[in-house]
This record gives sequence, structure tokens and C-alpha cells, in this order.
Amino acid sequence: MMRFLQAFLRAAATVVIVAAVAIRPAPAQTVDANLIEAAKKEGEVVWYTTLVVTQIVRPLVQAFEKKYPGIKVSYTAAPFQEVATRIVNEGRGANVRADLFDGGATFYPINAAGFAAPYKPAAAAVYPAEFKDPSGYWTANIVQVVSPAINTDLVPASDAPKTLDDLLDSKWRGRMAWTDAPSAGGPPGFIGAVLLSLGKEKGMEFLTKLAEQRIANIPSNQRVVLDQNIGGQYPLVLCIFNYHAAISASQGAPVKWLKVLPILTFGTVAMVKNGPHPNATKLFIEFMLSEEGQKIHADAGYIPAHPNVPAKSPDLKPEVGKYEYKLVTAEMYNAHAAEWTSIYKKLFQ
Amino acid sequence: MTGNSEISLSKVARVNGAARLSGSVLRYSRLVDYPLIALSAAIIVIIGLLVLPPIWTLIRTSFANTMPDLSTAGFTLDHYINLVTGRNLAVSAVNSIVFATCATILSLIIGGILAWLVERTDAPLKGLAYVTTIVSLGTPYILYVTAWLYLLGRAGPFNDLYRTWIDPTSTPFNVNSLTGMILIEGFLWSPLVFLLLSSTFRAANADMEEAARMSGASILDTIRLISMKLARPALFALALFVFIRNIEAFEVPALVGMPGRVDVLTTELYKSIKEVPPRVGYASAFSVVMLIIVGALLFLYGKMSKQAERYASITGKGFRPRPFALGRGRWIAGLVILVNFAIVLALPISAILWTSLMPFVRPMRWMALGTTTIKHYEAVVSSPYYLGLALNTLMVSAGTATVVMLLALVAGWLAARRKPGAAIVDQLITMPLVFPGLVLGIALLEIGLRFPIPIYGTLWLIGLAFVIRYMPYGMRYAYSGVLQIHSELEQAASVSGANIRESLRLIVGPLLIPALTSGWLFIFLIAAKEMSLPLLLAGPSSQTISVAMFDLWANGQGGEVAALGLMWVTFMTIVATTFYRIARRLSLSSFGH
Repeated sequence: MMRFLQAFLRAAATVVIVAAVAIRPAPAQTVDANLIEAAKKEGEVVWYTTLVVTQIVRPLVQAFEKKYPGIKVSYTAAPFQEVATRIVNEGRGANVRADLFDGGATFYPINAAGFAAPYKPAAAAVYPAEFKDPSGYWTANIVQVVSPAINTDLVPASDAPKTLDDLLDSKWRGRMAWTDAPSAGGPPGFIGAVLLSLGKEKGMEFLTKLAEQRIANIPSNQRVVLDQNIGGQYPLVLCIFNYHAAISASQGAPVKWLKVLPILTFGTVAMVKNGPHPNATKLFIEFMLSEEGQKIHADAGYIPAHPNVPAKSPDLKPEVGKYEYKLVTAEMYNAHAAEWTSIYKKLFQ
Repeated sequence: MTGNSEISLSKVARVNGAARLSGSVLRYSRLVDYPLIALSAAIIVIIGLLVLPPIWTLIRTSFANTMPDLSTAGFTLDHYINLVTGRNLAVSAVNSIVFATCATILSLIIGGILAWLVERTDAPLKGLAYVTTIVSLGTPYILYVTAWLYLLGRAGPFNDLYRTWIDPTSTPFNVNSLTGMILIEGFLWSPLVFLLLSSTFRAANADMEEAARMSGASILDTIRLISMKLARPALFALALFVFIRNIEAFEVPALVGMPGRVDVLTTELYKSIKEVPPRVGYASAFSVVMLIIVGALLFLYGKMSKQAERYASITGKGFRPRPFALGRGRWIAGLVILVNFAIVLALPISAILWTSLMPFVRPMRWMALGTTTIKHYEAVVSSPYYLGLALNTLMVSAGTATVVMLLALVAGWLAARRKPGAAIVDQLITMPLVFPGLVLGIALLEIGLRFPIPIYGTLWLIGLAFVIRYMPYGMRYAYSGVLQIHSELEQAASVSGANIRESLRLIVGPLLIPALTSGWLFIFLIAAKEMSLPLLLAGPSSQTISVAMFDLWANGQGGEVAALGLMWVTFMTIVATTFYRIARRLSLSSFGH
């Protein structure tokens, strides 16, 4: 009876929250007419992106070009390492071509070299404080929840790990995998979250035991690791993005993400210093972060950063799915990268 | 062009006798030949301009601290110290040597046997061998490696079958092992060997093989004592080349070996360039060491191949290579070609096809057939933007292949004939082999941004990078081609009053057509699928198809990559086959077969 009541209350709460999100009046979003005018004069914006072209880049570009005719969005897609390397080289050669870039980890090498510029988008006024750089250097565009996942064909629900300690069970030895991505969403981020949650001493004790499980380091990203989980190579994987699991599960894939130390991190969008089209860039960032732009992100399967725009499966967002998480921002990662990466190398590689 | 080459051949044949007679009196090579020196100097300058700026960047970066803006400052030996203080240096060195040696032998065996069967015998199914080569060369790297990882993986069909029929609890194949790495790398480079050796064998004179057979030698003895011996300089150069390629390869060791914790020397290199910011200094130091080793190997090879002329079998005598009759061995030969097709092509392609038809990655099972979908193909067909990318890719790869083979024709001839500056030409043109893609990419980013002509962000910069990267490959094709042509043909031409330009255009060029064609085809196909350079160099208007594939793959659109990849491979196969047929017709007029 108690359990039923709890479930009922939880469901009711979800309905109330979803309803609240839905009814809340959208704040009038006005973009400064002068900005539009100046942007049209520039006529173009150049975006170096880490996002998927066919899924999100092109829909966003098409919607923007339709809304603001006369401003063309040019883009090139590459992994974040390459995007950062390019922008840094352009900056050093004083031959800047890029106007803006995205990806959580991209910002830090570019900023360290002094080639990022601040801009506080009006559209992000309603965003939570932790999603914005206080000086305006970056703003979150997508939320990423990093979690473990199981292949439900290979792992019965009763066997699924429910706590961190369950990951130490000998039945997982040699049957787990994770990415080797050097970011908040990769093993160093997970190590950081463990140390922040359990404290240094207990955290290290746990990590040392986890290392004995011989987790396979897959030299690729979170999505590829999840595909290996779905394909049956590894029944349990760590550090995947929960929205990827949700997208695949909705297509019938035997996969379920687990609420075991979910880590909340996010991707960001930022301006390049001395980019050739500053006004068109600002206008494009405003569009990207507006409710309209964020809905395009949600439709593509991403978790939007905008508080009023629900994800495609709403319970992916912690406030709707009602789950505890550990926040590890790209900034926190950047501050601790040396320490967390060296633990990763020493114990897990 | 074809008419000319026929005329020149008969002309050469006529003066051949005279040239032989006068050969001892008139030492052709001792004359101070000013046009030759000018040609040699010109080619050294061109190749030097292409190769030396990135080499300079490489050396500078290896001895300096890398700043956050990726500029270099100060002087340090840290990068070199890190090379030797890395963990398990001995283990990874041994692994590297085992990996490179075994993979080289595997490629040589597969490619060599196939090339001999196709070019020198009356084996059936020859067309299939070419299809296998062209399609597997056209298949994007990540798709090919991923397909093998899937096939041999824990949930792949091999382990699955074993569990179903033999032992349900075991996993006999572990792809993430040294064996897995050797197999995949060996398969990957066997088409290179096949194309190179098939051009060598095609142009070989069959007289000696026939003489051996008539004197009662068995087929195997003939192969061992004649065919393989004649191809030895080419084989040796090839083995060395593939070995160097394998020892500096880091993609297969990373993708296949890393999850199984098999470390080779390049594992750390891979990690260093994936870090943010990339540890360019470490990668450069590694490349500099490789540069020295490769230089030493080439020097040794040069000493050993001084006698290479002895092996040249295309002489001034009229000849017409005839296929070797295998008799009852024909069906075995056909079977070999069929097995090669099944392993090198049909298996991985069927895995890719399977992925492209499934809504998400899943094991090969009958029950999964119910979920077959063509949505990935629809997604590709409904994106007109791929068309523009395909056009960019075709232009840049065809352009690269043409420029490289033209350079290689001259450079290969100079080097193989030991003309003035030969050693420098060979060393210079082979240097780019040791560049990791990212290091070359960063060097070219810098060059592109400072170039007086605005090539940054255009296809020209990608083309420039491709020419530098693929020159060593073109050189191997041209070099082993020239080795086969006896210099008496050129001596005869020279005696008959031909200058260098005429003798290259009328004698060497036409006789080299098989080698140049194979080289062109190889570079065209491999440039079209190259990823690391376009990811760094392509601007908004110069995106290539491989950038799109990487983008899809890295973001989990495995099905769509597979669909796009297969459609792309089909297209490339049609283009390559058309080209090959045209070239074959040209070569027919030179060789008459």
C-alpha cells in the first residue's frame, strides 16, 4: 500500500511539473532590431561545430535562414579537438575565419590561447546560473547526463547495478567498457564525480577496486561505446549519454540507462574573438538558445538547456525524472583535469 | 600517344643491336648530361618545396615547448625523453615489431599470390580479384575496421556460431589481441601489394618462365626459382615499404588493440594527439625518430638494390608475356581467388550491409531480419548536400592522384636509374610516410594561413596536403615499374638521338602505364577516404564525403554511415573500373596483352 501511494504521488508530481512547464507563459522574446539590421549587413556567419550535421546542424541552419533571409550560415563539422586546433591556429595566424563554436571541452584550449570573446545572450536570461559563464564567455546549449547503461537482452533487470558498489561485483569483471574521451563526459569526469561524492579517501578506495574489473577503454566516443553495448559486445558500459540510450530504446534497442551516479554536464556555445561577422554571430546564438531554437535541439533528441523546453522524453531531465545527480561542468573538469586524468592513466590504462 | 609508343618500340628494337655493340665503348652514364642534371635539380626543388616546410615544422616542434596557442617556444628535450621513459617500452617495441612483420607478411602473401595468379597464369575469376581490390580500397577505413571488429567481436557471428554449436560458455575469438590487429592490418594493405605486384608481373617477360617449364621444372619450382626471383627487387622494396607503413600505423593498433590493452609503440602517439590540447611535441619527436629509421632503411636498401638492373626483364627484344598454363591447377587458383574475395571483401561488406539495414546495431540473427529497414538509405538519398561533397571529393582525389603520379614518373625514373641526385630524390619523396595525419595537418594549417595565395579553407589546401601525404606511395609504384624496364631501351633511344623528354614520353612513360595506372588508382581510392586531413583542413565550401562520414560515425549514426559508405563504394567502384578499362586499353597497345 505504501509503495502504491509513493508511486502515485511520484506520478502526480510529474504530471504537475510537466503541466507547469507547459502552461508557463513564454517570455516575450524580442531581438534588438539594430542587431538584426547589422547582422543582415554582414550577411554571413561561420560556425565550427561538433554537432551532427544531418540531425541538428542543418535543421537549425535552415530554420535560422528562413527566419532571417539574407544571412547565410556556413559550417564545418569536426571533433572538438580539431575544432579547437583550427580556431587556435587561425587566431595565431591573425587570419580568423570562424565566428562561433560549440562543444563543452572546446572552449578551454581556445580560451587559454586567448581567442574566445564574451557575449551574454538575452535569450539565456532565464537559464540557471550554472549554465552560464559569469563573464559571458560561454552559455550552455545542450545538457548531457552521463550514466551507465545495460544491454537488457543480456542483463535481467534484477541483475542491473543499483549502486556504485554493485559495479564492483565480480560478474562484471572484463565485461565493462567506457570511452577514452578526455572530458567531463569521459572517465576523468567519472573519477571526479566519484571523488566529489565519496570524498578523496573513500573515492580512491572505490576507484582502485573498480580498476581491478579491467574496464575496456574504447578509443572512441560515448555513442560508439553505447552501440557496442547494444550490439552485445559489453553487457554493461559506463559514461554514456542518457539521451543516446533513450533514442535507441525508443527504436526498440535492448538498452536501459541506469541512475547510478548520474553526472550532469553540458555543451556550450561561444564566440570567437575578432570573428569576421560579430553581429550575425550574436543573432545566431540568440536564435540557438531561444525557445524556438532549443525546440529544434529537443526534436533532434538532445536535452535542451533552456529550462522551459522539455526533452523529447521529458524524464531525461533530472528535474522531471526526479533523480539525484552530480554536477561536473566543463569548467570544473578543466580545473581538475591534470589530477583526474593522471588517476585515469595510472589505474585504468 | 598509343601510335607513338608502338613506333618508338619498334624503332628501339631496330637500334637495339647497335646500342649493345656500342655500349662498352660509349658509357652512356659517364657523359656529363646537362639536361639530366637540370631535370634532377628541378624535381629535387619541387619535392623539397613540398616536403621540407612540414619537416621543418616537425623538427622545430619536437625540440620546443608547445604553448597553449600551439606556437612553439624555447628548447627542450622533454619530448624525446618521454619517448624512452614511456611505460613498458620493451613490451611495446616487441609488440610493434611482431605486429608490423606479421602484417607485412600477411599482405605480401595475400596480395602476391593473387597478383601472380591474375597476371601470369590462366586462372579463372580474374575479374573478381580486381573487384575485390577496388571495392576494398574504396571502402572507408572506419567502416572496414568496424566491420571486422563486429565480425570477430564477442557478439559477432563467429563467436556466436561457436557458442551455438560447440561451447555455449566460451568466446574463442578475441579480436582485441595482437592476432586481431595483424589480421585486420594485413587485410587492409593487401590491395596495395596486389596492385603494385600486378603491375610488376604484367610487364614481366615470360621467356624465362617458359624456358624453365620446358626444361622440366615443376610449376612450384618455376615460381620459386624464376617468377619470385625476377620480382625480388620489387618485392623487397614493397616489403620494406609496407613494413614502415605498419610500424608507424596507429589507427588499427588504437581501435583494435587498445580495448584489449595491447600496447605498441604508436599507442602513446595516438593518445598524445587525442588529448586537448594535443601533445604535438611528443608526436613530432616520435615522427623524427621514425624519419631517421626510415632514412637508414632506405639507405641500406639502396646499397642492396644496386644490382637491380639484373632483374629487368623488359628488354629491347620483342616480347609478348604469355600466361602460364596451370593445367589442372586452374581450379585451385580459382578457389584461391574466391577465398580471398570471401575474406577480404564479402565478409566485411556483408557486415556493413547488415548494419545499414538494421534500425540499430545488433547481432546477426534470423529473428532480427524482421526489423530490416531502408530508412538509412532514405536518409542518405534525401540529403542533397551529399552530392556537393561527392563532387569535392572526386575533384580533389583525382587531382591528387594525377599530380602525384606525374611527379613519381620522373622521380621514380631518376631514382631507379641512379641518375644524379637519385638518393636525395628517393629520401625526400619517402619522408612524408612517417607523418602522423594530425602533425602534417597542423603544419599545413600554418602554411595555408600564411600562404600568399588564399588557399586556406579551399580544396587546394586539401589537395596540397594529399599530394605530400601520397607521394611516397606513388613513388613505390613508379620505382618498381622502372626497375623492370631494362635501361638498354633508353640507351638505344639516346643513341638514336632522343633527348630525355622524348625518351621519358615515348619509351619510359608508355612502358610504365601499368605501374602508373595501378598507382593512380590506389591514390585516387585511398585519398577519397582519407579522414584526418580533411577534418582539420576542410572549410565550409570544401567539405568532403569522408568528413560527413566521420561526423555521422562519431555521433552514433552507424546505420546511416554504413548506407552512405556502401553507396559511395559502389559509385567509386564504377569510376575506378571505368578508369581502369581505359588505362588497360592504353597498356594493351604497349604490351599487346
